[in-house]
Amino acid sequence: MSGLAAADALAIAGDVFVPLQADEALLPEGLDIGFKPVPAIIVIAMMGLFLAAGVFYKVADTADMWVAGRSIGNVENGMAIGANWMSAASYLGMAALIALSGVYGLAFVVGWTTGYFILLIFLAAQMRRFGKYTAPDFVGDRFNSDAARAIAAITTFLIGFVYALGQARGMGLVGLYILGDPGLPGLSGYQGMMVIFMVITIAYLALSGMLGATKTMVIQYVILISAFLIGLLVTGYASGYSTILPQLEYGMLINELSAEFSDPFAGGSYYLWIATAFSLIFGTCGLPHVLVRFYTVENERIARWSCTWGLFFICLLYLSAPAYAAFGTDLYSDGVRAAYGDPGMSAEAGDVIVVLATQLAGLPTWLVGFVAAGGIAAAVATVAGLFIAGSSAISHDIYANIINPDATQRQQVLVGRLSIVALGVLTIIFALDPTAPIAALVSFAFSLAAIVLFPMFFLGLWWENTNRQGALAGMTTGLIVWLIPMFNEGHFGPGFGNEFLATWMPAIGSGLVGVPIVFAVTIAVSLVTDEPPLETKQMVRQCHSPEPMPKDKTAADVVAEKNSGGPSPADD
Amino acid sequence: MTDNNSHNTSDESNELQTDGGVSEVEREKQIDYLDVEINLLKPATPFMQDHNRIILRGFAIWAVIVFGPITLTRLAPDVMTSTMPVLGFPLHYFLIAIGGPGGALLLSVWYVRKRDHIDEKYDIEQFAGADLERTDTSGQEPTATDGGAEK
Repeated sequence: MSGLAAADALAIAGDVFVPLQADEALLPEGLDIGFKPVPAIIVIAMMGLFLAAGVFYKVADTADMWVAGRSIGNVENGMAIGANWMSAASYLGMAALIALSGVYGLAFVVGWTTGYFILLIFLAAQMRRFGKYTAPDFVGDRFNSDAARAIAAITTFLIGFVYALGQARGMGLVGLYILGDPGLPGLSGYQGMMVIFMVITIAYLALSGMLGATKTMVIQYVILISAFLIGLLVTGYASGYSTILPQLEYGMLINELSAEFSDPFAGGSYYLWIATAFSLIFGTCGLPHVLVRFYTVENERIARWSCTWGLFFICLLYLSAPAYAAFGTDLYSDGVRAAYGDPGMSAEAGDVIVVLATQLAGLPTWLVGFVAAGGIAAAVATVAGLFIAGSSAISHDIYANIINPDATQRQQVLVGRLSIVALGVLTIIFALDPTAPIAALVSFAFSLAAIVLFPMFFLGLWWENTNRQGALAGMTTGLIVWLIPMFNEGHFGPGFGNEFLATWMPAIGSGLVGVPIVFAVTIAVSLVTDEPPLETKQMVRQCHSPEPMPKDKTAADVVAEKNSGGPSPADD
Repeated sequence: MTDNNSHNTSDESNELQTDGGVSEVEREKQIDYLDVEINLLKPATPFMQDHNRIILRGFAIWAVIVFGPITLTRLAPDVMTSTMPVLGFPLHYFLIAIGGPGGALLLSVWYVRKRDHIDEKYDIEQFAGADLERTDTSGQEPTATDGGAEK
């Protein structure tokens, strides 16, 4: 049985000791649920601060924002990378998986950090030189195909949706702590809270719009990481686990915890561990909203250094989450019930273990509220970013580029808004009864990015002979390959439950099987069909030239210039 | 189109042969990147050879850092789960939870510094903020911006 299946099984048995509304689904046991004025004010103040920062740093128009944005420095951009990255999955979900499935959960720590090195050596600077703003734009221009652009746009939309599921679950569960059961008719406490926060997120999105400028993200990062680290430091100190460096001191605690916490393969097999880490690593390299950060810097050297700084800022949280998991598990075992065995810790309690740990350590409500608010802020900000990426994929890449090339600005904005609402409604419906813990839900989006987008970025930049037919065949294959385990395990519908497939191609780690398949298909089809046009190849070559490139130019500009001035006219 | 391409590549290799005696740096300066093939497994220029060497070396070390500890734990569970002195971590836990992210971070620093050295070797300097207006890059036709397209 996989770690997640184990977590699900735990979840089913989890309601016995819940003090309130024991018959309702998705209530984290042990969490002090109820309306709390101070934490509520902290959440509102935090969101208000992000909005205010957005307004304060607002620039005249989008074109200005991009170009001006390219003068962002190393450290600042590194923090923005960190803020962009910190979602509910990092903030809440990772500690949850480590608490619930032990060493298997560490595959998430490793996968979500070490992927940045691959991004750094293979993609960051080259992407910066290519000079496109969105993933569908890259795919469409590199492979000269509107169909490829459309598949990339659909994938971006799907990533946004699947990724947002995990965030919605996080908002609902943490919202319960801060505001209590809203008592919406027909909905359980979790469901009501989740719906309320999704509606707030969409309103926030309407207000903040494209304000998600780098400065706002820097502020977000500082607040998120402070909430997380202060919470951990005080929890460790108050409970006597640690003094000033809980990230290392929790090591002493591990042997006192149940064997499930540190036994190598108690929570998931060796294969599952490798498959999960692999998917998360290459998913990181395929995520549209991560790659976008490298367009906002001045030059490739800063792109590289800011990627490294980004990894440093991410590591601060990722080295701390296992400590939270250890403290939380021990506090839970002492204060609620045995964390492992029957019934054990439920998946819901796991997903709020960060908040739960601070609460069980007896910290004052405002401090617990601060930590909880950080989780909600991470979720809301990430959903806002994902929905913007998803809606621009629909309105810009599909509607304006393909369906209606004469679309007016007004029509595009309308389509963009409708797709945000569509994404919101879809997310709410599927998040009413989520099929897995936060981090697992988010990892499905990573599998998708790894399988469909990463091979296109990688081959597109490193092998000039990758062509349109190869890309189309590869991406179509990838989408199908990703959907098979998703349906099999019942994440969309009842599920087939094929045991063999679930073992060797789990949805959570389908990249391990999927990525090589897509590479093979793309390369094979590219080899048997015509080479791409010279201009396309030159664009790829320009991405690898060490020659400095002005920041207002794309590789395509350079190629067009060269060809218009050179002896041979451009060949179409 | 394909003819065009192979023509360009042979052009370039001729050029390299005639200048047989020059250093890598000199050779690099004569190359127009729009004429060299991009293939990760066959780096075509001195710069790309140097760069690919550190990329592939870094990738190999990275693979060991990421998948090594869990694999060793699978192969030798007793050794790997023994408790570390001072810190108290089980060895495998430490290598995965702290060695993984920390190792990737150190490796990233190693890579960007190496890459900076290569840039130095080939005399490459990136544009700084003050050079915003500079759009002429050497080695390319100093064509006027859009006007050139119509000629």
